[in-house]
Amino acid sequence: MMVQPPPVPPTVSAALTTTEVRVTSGFQGARIVLYGAVFDPSHRPSDVVVIVRGPEQPIRIAHKVRVAGLWINSRPVVFRGAPGFYKAASTRPLDQIAGFGVLRRLGAGIDHLAINAPAEQRVETRYGVKDVVVNRLGADYLDWRQAVVRLKAKMGLYEEDDHGVVFVDQNLFKADITLPTDAPIGRYQAQILLFQNGQPVSQRVRELDVKKVGLQRTLYLFAHFHPWTYGLVSVSIALAAGWAASVAFRRS
Amino acid sequence: MALDIYLPIAEVSVNGPLLVALGAGVGFISGLFGIGGGFLMTPILVFLGIPPAVAVASLASHVAASSTSSVISYTRARAVDFRMGGVLASGGVVGSILGVEVFRWIRLIGQADLVVSLSYLIFLGVIGGLMLSESLTTIIRSRRGDAQPQIRDRRPPLLYGLPFKVKFPKSRMYISVIPPIALGVFVGMLSAIMGVGGGFILVPAMIYLLRMPANVVVGTSLFQIIITTTLTSVLQAGRNQTVDIVLATLLLIGGVIGAQLGAKASSRFRAEELRAILALIVLAVGLRMGLGLFLTPTEPFILMTGSGG
Repeated sequence: MMVQPPPVPPTVSAALTTTEVRVTSGFQGARIVLYGAVFDPSHRPSDVVVIVRGPEQPIRIAHKVRVAGLWINSRPVVFRGAPGFYKAASTRPLDQIAGFGVLRRLGAGIDHLAINAPAEQRVETRYGVKDVVVNRLGADYLDWRQAVVRLKAKMGLYEEDDHGVVFVDQNLFKADITLPTDAPIGRYQAQILLFQNGQPVSQRVRELDVKKVGLQRTLYLFAHFHPWTYGLVSVSIALAAGWAASVAFRRS
Repeated sequence: MALDIYLPIAEVSVNGPLLVALGAGVGFISGLFGIGGGFLMTPILVFLGIPPAVAVASLASHVAASSTSSVISYTRARAVDFRMGGVLASGGVVGSILGVEVFRWIRLIGQADLVVSLSYLIFLGVIGGLMLSESLTTIIRSRRGDAQPQIRDRRPPLLYGLPFKVKFPKSRMYISVIPPIALGVFVGMLSAIMGVGGGFILVPAMIYLLRMPANVVVGTSLFQIIITTTLTSVLQAGRNQTVDIVLATLLLIGGVIGAQLGAKASSRFRAEELRAILALIVLAVGLRMGLGLFLTPTEPFILMTGSGG
């Protein structure tokens, strides 16, 4: 009798066409392609989800309210845990790939992003129950959260693409990642997840650096590490230019 | 497009030639009317998507450049009362330091939008309105051939009753320094809050409140604007790191040339006609900025970039 070989666990592997996005004076955003392959000898039905997260940035958001006929901003609310860039791409709509709990735990999909407003929360005892998290925004909390996502999506910074991962060959898949010009500078992480039967069975993480280079970087560092000298230099250029122009025009 | 330039501090991409052209247009207006032009440029830059804090700070050096460019012409052609300019600027320095602090606090409580819109609406609206009615009256009178009304009392008690009187030979005045210093403080605060040089307030205030002779007003106001915007620019760079040198340079290339052309063109117009045109521009900008306060917003939420602004 033949000995049954132990089942080979399915795995996913992937690579980015670029691991460094260089922000130069002519930076117009970037398009990065992610290629990957699924290894599964038993050919069970597989789904692939790619989640790209940019560096975390706290978000301040305000609500417009009408006071005495004027539209003014309410007190701003700070949301924490929000990535500066977020894209979830998948082979099928996420809710068909896995259940709510799994998606929530992985932070897969814009609805499952772990963003919250800690300053608005406090823990108290209510009706004799200890440690109840109460949010000061109350029932409006979801509106605020949705607004964060909506405004970020409008800037091209948050995106969910139900068919963003495409199988180009039997086991070979591909996903496009488009970074807008406003994409934050910093380290990005692409998480590639292989799903079978509604569960993540294998994952890979790839990193991507978005950084300023050349003159952009020099000026940025100058402005932040020698701010006073930078200020004096920039104003001297201005005054010199004004003086030069008036001299030039006097001669002509 | 290759003409788009990514700004290192603002972290947005802008069209280079468009900014140079904008700088030239605003510089022309600056030279023509003897104002900094910030009240026009700040709203335009914000509209183009540049974070307000960066727009306000980078603009200060643009205003300094175009003011330098035209003040030199004014020094040669007409007159600058350096003593009066210095007194105004000493108030302006105090005012802009105060203003930067006040603005930081306003941004912290998230009301920068409201304060900026309201200041534009109130100050530009009132000054534009007053200037327009005054200049139209003058134009109509001179068209009809009526005699201009008698010049008002040249010795108002506000200027002559207060202590610390100083001689201003260029302006042929001997007045207390308290009103010009107070004016300087006020304009300095406004300039930090609204991102303007303050010329649109200084020029009428010098004519109607300080009763300075019209021929030295423009040059003197430009001189004081250079001092305060130079200081503001360095302060903003040092404290907030919000000065974008690439943005400022793009704007001032056009700005200094425009300012020269504007200063030359100004001699072709009559003073009251110039004031009427300026009044219309000021009114339009003020109303446009204030409009947002009354219209129901299409998006009820607003993201505040960075530390707010």
